[in-house]
Amino acid sequence: MNHLPFENWLLDDRPVTPEQQRELELHLRDCSYCSALSETGRMLKTTKMVAPAANFTARFQARLAERKIADRRRRLWGTVLFTMGGLALLLWILAPYAVSFFASPATWISVIVGWLVFVGTTLFALIDAGLVILSVIPNFLPPFAWMVLLSMVAGIGLLWSVSIWRFTQRGVPQGV
Amino acid sequence: MNDENAWVLQAQRGSDEAFTQLVETYQKPVYNLCYRMLGEPEAAEDAAQETFLRAYQNLHRYDNSRAFGTWILSIAAHYCIDRLRKRRFSVFSIDAEDEDGMTFEIADPASPDPEAESAKQEDRDRLHLLLKDLDDTDRAAVIMRYWYDCSEVEIAQSLNLTVSAVKSRLHRSRRALAEMWQKEKSRSYPERRSHESLAF
Repeated sequence: MNHLPFENWLLDDRPVTPEQQRELELHLRDCSYCSALSETGRMLKTTKMVAPAANFTARFQARLAERKIADRRRRLWGTVLFTMGGLALLLWILAPYAVSFFASPATWISVIVGWLVFVGTTLFALIDAGLVILSVIPNFLPPFAWMVLLSMVAGIGLLWSVSIWRFTQRGVPQGV
Repeated sequence: MNDENAWVLQAQRGSDEAFTQLVETYQKPVYNLCYRMLGEPEAAEDAAQETFLRAYQNLHRYDNSRAFGTWILSIAAHYCIDRLRKRRFSVFSIDAEDEDGMTFEIADPASPDPEAESAKQEDRDRLHLLLKDLDDTDRAAVIMRYWYDCSEVEIAQSLNLTVSAVKSRLHRSRRALAEMWQKEKSRSYPERRSHESLAF
């Protein structure tokens, strides 16, 4: 059976003229599909909203208070753990130097200088190693691998730029 | 500036009383959406409460140029869709929960024809059950369209869809509901002739 244009009238909920209304009613008598479409549409429009049980707001306030306490507790524990962890790390790093801290100023200065020299030489060694790797790798990598690598870097860069642009222009999406 | 905008602004500045006013105003629409999406009252209550908590925590993100009602309904719809997605991977099924928890609206005995009203109510309850066979996003679109009179643009904004996608989802859902309704009717009332079920 041809449902057009009746199906469209029913789906779009558009107002119909009295003549169209009469045609539609005639069609609905013979067409069980359009009749079901009409009936479900009418029911969707007339079904009432269901209300929550009484004192919804009071229950919400209690839940909000609980959530606030839990958040505060979590933040407190987070701060405590972060501080303790930081202190432990600091102690672990400083422990070897703690002994020299109580030694003579000459020993103290020589430890600092030694440490600075160690940091400096490590950095230089890392830079040298990086340069050697960069000069050796191109001979092993075929050109297409370079293209793939560069495309990936460009893609990630583009994604990053678009994300930053979206957040700055449109803000964070509203649907949480 | 109307009351609602004032409450939103006050709530954004940290007033819990103002937010409570918003909860009072929107509890029914939000609960109804959750109920229609999830199908049972306990889950709907929990989802509605969680929706308001999320709205409270994200009030600073609310764009005042948009209707607050649409914003909060969109939070509820997204939350319910996520919850249904998770539920699908859990050991409990929606059908099992329905058997335990489903409650229906009760027909008004004071209406002029209680029997007809009761039959209508029964039909609406069956329609409510059919709704759960729709895809989650389609169901959200149907609920926002028919219970809240949201425009296709508002639904598109709320569900992060294009307007044409909303239109096609609404049409698809209406067709699916009609087909399911036809099958349901032929199962329940095999003796009823087609012209007797007319309603327009």
